[in-house]
Amino acid sequence: MNRALTTSRHLIGNKRSLGYGSALIVLFLFLQGCVTATVDEMTFLEPTEGIGDSSVVILGRRHAPDYETEFDFIECIGDHIRRGDNSITVLHELEFINMMYPWFEPRTAPLRPQDIDRLLMQEPVANQFTDIKLEYMIWIDGSTIETNSSGSMTCGVGPGGAGCFGFGTWGNASDYEATIWDFTDQTEVGRISANTSGQSYMPAVVVPIPIIAPVQGTACDSLGDQLLDYLSATR
Amino acid sequence: MVAPSLDSMISDPNRTIRLTAAAAVVLFLAACGAKQVVVQGNFPKPLMEQTPLTLGVVYTESFANHEIYDEAAGREETDWLVKTGDAQVEFWDTLLGGMFTNIVHIDSHDALHAVEQDIDAVIIPYVEDLQYTIPLHTNVKVYEIWMKYRFRLVTTDAIHEHSDGELTYDPNQSIADWTLSAYGKTPTAFLQSDEEAVNLAAVVALRDAGANFATSFHRVPAVIEWLETRNAITEVPAAALNGDSSGTPDEPEGASS
Repeated sequence: MNRALTTSRHLIGNKRSLGYGSALIVLFLFLQGCVTATVDEMTFLEPTEGIGDSSVVILGRRHAPDYETEFDFIECIGDHIRRGDNSITVLHELEFINMMYPWFEPRTAPLRPQDIDRLLMQEPVANQFTDIKLEYMIWIDGSTIETNSSGSMTCGVGPGGAGCFGFGTWGNASDYEATIWDFTDQTEVGRISANTSGQSYMPAVVVPIPIIAPVQGTACDSLGDQLLDYLSATR
Repeated sequence: MVAPSLDSMISDPNRTIRLTAAAAVVLFLAACGAKQVVVQGNFPKPLMEQTPLTLGVVYTESFANHEIYDEAAGREETDWLVKTGDAQVEFWDTLLGGMFTNIVHIDSHDALHAVEQDIDAVIIPYVEDLQYTIPLHTNVKVYEIWMKYRFRLVTTDAIHEHSDGELTYDPNQSIADWTLSAYGKTPTAFLQSDEEAVNLAAVVALRDAGANFATSFHRVPAVIEWLETRNAITEVPAAALNGDSSGTPDEPEGASS
């Protein structure tokens, strides 16, 4: 009897914490700022049978003086593709750049598919490409910027505690374009672009409550989904 | 025996004052002391066909102990000491070792005599200029570094020992003399410390210097002429961005040096 009571109390406790958890998730979802996303796609020569045991590398463009494609954004897209279809081998960007040094540094990276030929003139480079069975090279060009910000917030600490009061808001915009190169044919086989924007808010009455618009995350998911559709045989 | 000493630690007002003062001094010194970075990084070996040459490499003392010292201009700024010497030597050893069949360190005239017959030429790198920007007015830890190198390729006969033991060279016996620039910027804005951000900017600049050197060495006119006499021409693809001018942003106005 006692044991049954204990169990039911435990269940009630679990239900209650499940309820709190769900409420927190709903609150978190509700507290996310809105993001608008536009995705354009133009691809051809899709690998309908998938890419088999070949590999794909996703690289960021970093030769422009005023912006650089973020390393973590490239990693996010790679993870998205791996999660969506674990049969696709996506090489890690930094490992690939180190393995191919100095041919994929901002100064030396090929800008057109035809430039691959000049890389293959070097025997060690050609051998390395054969070893890693590279089929697609995907270049991501773009960045996420803060478009506007306003508001003010004051925080203070006293003997009785600490707290903030105020309101802040800022906007972010992402603009990325993925260019897919077929490495074997040395041709461009597709372009996918994703533009996202959103406004984040931070009201504070004692405790600041961040309502973040996942602008870069949405761009990553959008590009990742389209690339996955292109590369995966199962989708 | 223990009780009185514990008591004195807790309640002796003089001791408390002394401890507070010591803590304040430590904090003050920590805030005012120079930030120091000894540049460290993992430098990959270049993936390229080796040019069939044995090169002697002279790292001058100023090169091997290269450092940047930036004195704070105001109370809000901090002194900076960035030591790049060890990283320079490690990096150029890795790069030159991958580009040429063999490299030999030459640190004295005797060392040169010992290998004179085996080496084709001697290369001497110098850091001619270095400029940088520090994000004073932003909280973003993104630093930028520009470096200008001068390389001198000389015959073994051109190397002489100065009275202080430093190796010098005779410019009339120089095979080639050229400069190249390199640029590095902290690639992420989310690093924890300024030191880490400066280190990363320096490593990126070194990698860029290596990429520039590897793709431009076989294009220096005087080097081409010399390689032709040695039958050591190696086809190396040009940099996609056409060497020095692109890819390396111009030095910003007001950059420190």
